[in-house]
Amino acid sequence: MDIDALAGCLASPACLVTQTTSGLIIGMLLFLVAVGLTLIFGVLKVVNFSHGAFYMFGAYFAMTAYQFSDSFALAMLCGAAGTAILGLIFERVFMSRVYGADVLMQLLVCYAFVLIFDDVVRMIWGPEFKSMGMPSAFQVPPLFIAGGVVPPYYLLLIGVALVAAMVLGLGLARTRIGKVIRAAAHNPGMVSALGINTGLIYGGVFALGGMLAGLAGALAAPVRSLTPGMGFSVLIESFIVTVIGGMGSILGALVGALLIGLIRSFGSLGFPLFTEGLMYLFMVIVLVSRPSGLFGKEVA
Amino acid sequence: MTELQAERTPETLSAPRIETRSFRSRYLDVLIALVAFAVLAALPLFFGSKALLDFVIRCSAFGLFATSLNLLVGYTGMISFGHGMFFGLGAYGFGLLMQRTGVPIPVAFVATLLITAVVAAIIGAICVRLKEIYFAFVTLAFQMLIHSTILTWTSLTGGDQGLRGGIPRPAFLGIDLANHVHLYITSCALLVLGLLLMRQIAQSPFGYTLRMIRDNARRASFIGIDVWRAKLTVFVLAALFASTGGMVMAMFVSGAYPEFAYWTISGEGIFINMLGGVTTFLGPMVGTVLLLNLNDTVTRFTEYHGIVLGVVILFFAIGLRKGLMDYVLEWYTQRRDGSGERG
Amino acid sequence: MLDIRGLSKSFGGVKATDNVSLDFADGSLTAVIGPNGAGKSTFFNLITGALRPDSGEVLLDGIDLAGKSPPEIVRHGIGRAFQVASIFPSLTVQETMLAAVCADQRRSTVLHRRFPLAETRDRAEHAMELLGLANKRHRTAATLSHGDQKLLDIALALVLDPKVLLLDEPTAGMGTEERWRMIDKVRELWETQKITVVFIEHDMDIVFKIAPRIVVLCYGRILATGTPDAIRRDEAVIDAYLGTEEHAEAVT
Repeated sequence: MDIDALAGCLASPACLVTQTTSGLIIGMLLFLVAVGLTLIFGVLKVVNFSHGAFYMFGAYFAMTAYQFSDSFALAMLCGAAGTAILGLIFERVFMSRVYGADVLMQLLVCYAFVLIFDDVVRMIWGPEFKSMGMPSAFQVPPLFIAGGVVPPYYLLLIGVALVAAMVLGLGLARTRIGKVIRAAAHNPGMVSALGINTGLIYGGVFALGGMLAGLAGALAAPVRSLTPGMGFSVLIESFIVTVIGGMGSILGALVGALLIGLIRSFGSLGFPLFTEGLMYLFMVIVLVSRPSGLFGKEVA
Repeated sequence: MTELQAERTPETLSAPRIETRSFRSRYLDVLIALVAFAVLAALPLFFGSKALLDFVIRCSAFGLFATSLNLLVGYTGMISFGHGMFFGLGAYGFGLLMQRTGVPIPVAFVATLLITAVVAAIIGAICVRLKEIYFAFVTLAFQMLIHSTILTWTSLTGGDQGLRGGIPRPAFLGIDLANHVHLYITSCALLVLGLLLMRQIAQSPFGYTLRMIRDNARRASFIGIDVWRAKLTVFVLAALFASTGGMVMAMFVSGAYPEFAYWTISGEGIFINMLGGVTTFLGPMVGTVLLLNLNDTVTRFTEYHGIVLGVVILFFAIGLRKGLMDYVLEWYTQRRDGSGERG
Repeated sequence: MLDIRGLSKSFGGVKATDNVSLDFADGSLTAVIGPNGAGKSTFFNLITGALRPDSGEVLLDGIDLAGKSPPEIVRHGIGRAFQVASIFPSLTVQETMLAAVCADQRRSTVLHRRFPLAETRDRAEHAMELLGLANKRHRTAATLSHGDQKLLDIALALVLDPKVLLLDEPTAGMGTEERWRMIDKVRELWETQKITVVFIEHDMDIVFKIAPRIVVLCYGRILATGTPDAIRRDEAVIDAYLGTEEHAEAVT
């Protein structure tokens, strides 16, 4: 434990800025993964245990696309689009077969794909740590805000994630398809009663969730090391986020993700050995006091 | 028994029958256990192969773990995705006690069980209230917490290197666990005893309380059952047997590694249950033998055993939709009567 | 005696049960009627602890049970059966009965003995005989007919020797003939077991024929209580609920 370091940081604007930005990028990446998880759960009542794999594929797709094209924008696009297609195939071919089955079967199918996807990545890209490297456009001197160092890429990352969150929020609130998705989350029977193709909605939600996770992976690729199995710890953290925020709540996912991001970044100063522990501790406190999460409606 | 026969059986006769049957079933179980132990214990006399004995020891460790998980999944309907944490806890608890304190093995064994019980009671108190999917993931989260604690608390656990330098195994009561055959016999004894105890739990009034909770927890609470307490009790009991499995593993490899506490152990446990089937008591044991065989075979041929394992899981989960022993049981009952009755 | 005083419960501003006070004498048989959404099931849920009342008392022989958990309330002697038969699908009829007696004798956590326990047998046997399920004892509950499942649900409540038995629509989902068989069974149980029975029922023919006392609920309030004759003549009931003859028909 190192309370002095934490107190010292809280007293210094420079450190505060640095830690907050790093907390925000952790939080925004987590949000993109968690919001897909929460959407899929909301609409399909399935916890996509293999959701972390989409984050992983997003990162690897982006890295490969960047290596071939040297274009950062194309890398992001490939990361997001590739995982969207993957999500659609995954849902239509496999998950759709176990909707009626019990939770155990759903977990097992996802578990199988965690194993398979990790090995596929190992086969294609090799088992060792990979790095995409910072795109040349962002290899510029960092900004200084109130004395704190902020790499420009961090700002872009936070910005892109925020835009994605806003587009998603507005899309669900305003567009017809968004309304159908929200209706489906509320009452699955009703949508099929309206004559809307539920298969299309389900596949679409999986593709959307996959795309958001893939985008998170692609955004993370320049600043994180890539390894098979990188998706799993992200999955666990996003799950904690959704539990804290409330399963099925998008606002909850955002708040939960930002809280976890800040806990991680400031916790690493004060409790370097217990950073992850803090996160779990926070989850337990939320669960005990509000079993359905901060923004959840249904009692767990 | 058919309906007609049941009608003919006078009420007065069925009274002692109920009790004798339950007495008899217990003695039968003990008898089967003794025979199984005798057969296993005699194995080294006929086969000198160390690999075979090693395989049985690993089956003991994972069999205890998987069967204890079935108390939760199959009997109570609680899908824990973090049951492996108690396997890891057993291995590390036992290893550390032996390395650091030098107490006799039986003392370390009991002390590890006590630690497991306390940890399981705390985690269980938080988790068992949660609905199935939340329960699965929050137990998983706790597993990850324990795993990351093991990785970061290097001074105690050796971090990602695990507990190295071997676990001292001083002889006790004439048993020397450094001797391979002694270790083998002890593992078999723990397995058989553990299975017998779990069988007793499954067939006790408490075991039927668990079945009622699995079938319809709401109704169970309306006949006066404290569902939360029953779930917590079985959560702790199952943890004790998983911990025993972990201890067998630690004795076998003479160490403990972070992988013992990693979530994949829990995943494999769930898969073993699926593979063998959750509707029979010995299903998980069958699943253990199958999975360990499968693992050994696959790793011999390819380094990508995740893919092969994944495909096998998909075959069972999407193709068969049930485990092997479930199939056998179904086939057996259909052959016997086909009317959906049960004995 | 079951004595309900000022029981209230609202859901987001809607009063599902509004200051209900009623008493049920020992050994009485009462029917609760009311249009859909009148708060009949909520009323039962409040008494049995499935829901926590906002205010009010549920006194059984002078002990206030309001706000206690379902297991506690069951142990005090209020048993219930459900509108949709609530049973244990994978257990046989006999196992269900034996396990329920086990729970009632506080032996549901016994680990060192084998199920079934000899001391649970007589009561389980008795309940099966009473409900006419003895010849189906080895059938798994899931394979029983709809009517038998409802009987098993009632048997589950009855085997606990309750002082008060609450039956939420014992005849739900049954054909006319089956309904009468079921309600005759309920009446027979009430007569032989000397317990307090309260049941919810939609079929007016049944209610007026069987129940010595009727409670009419409407929008969570008590509209009227009394004998069938008094209820038939009650202005408020006729206005709000029975209406014209056609209306009464429609309700059934």
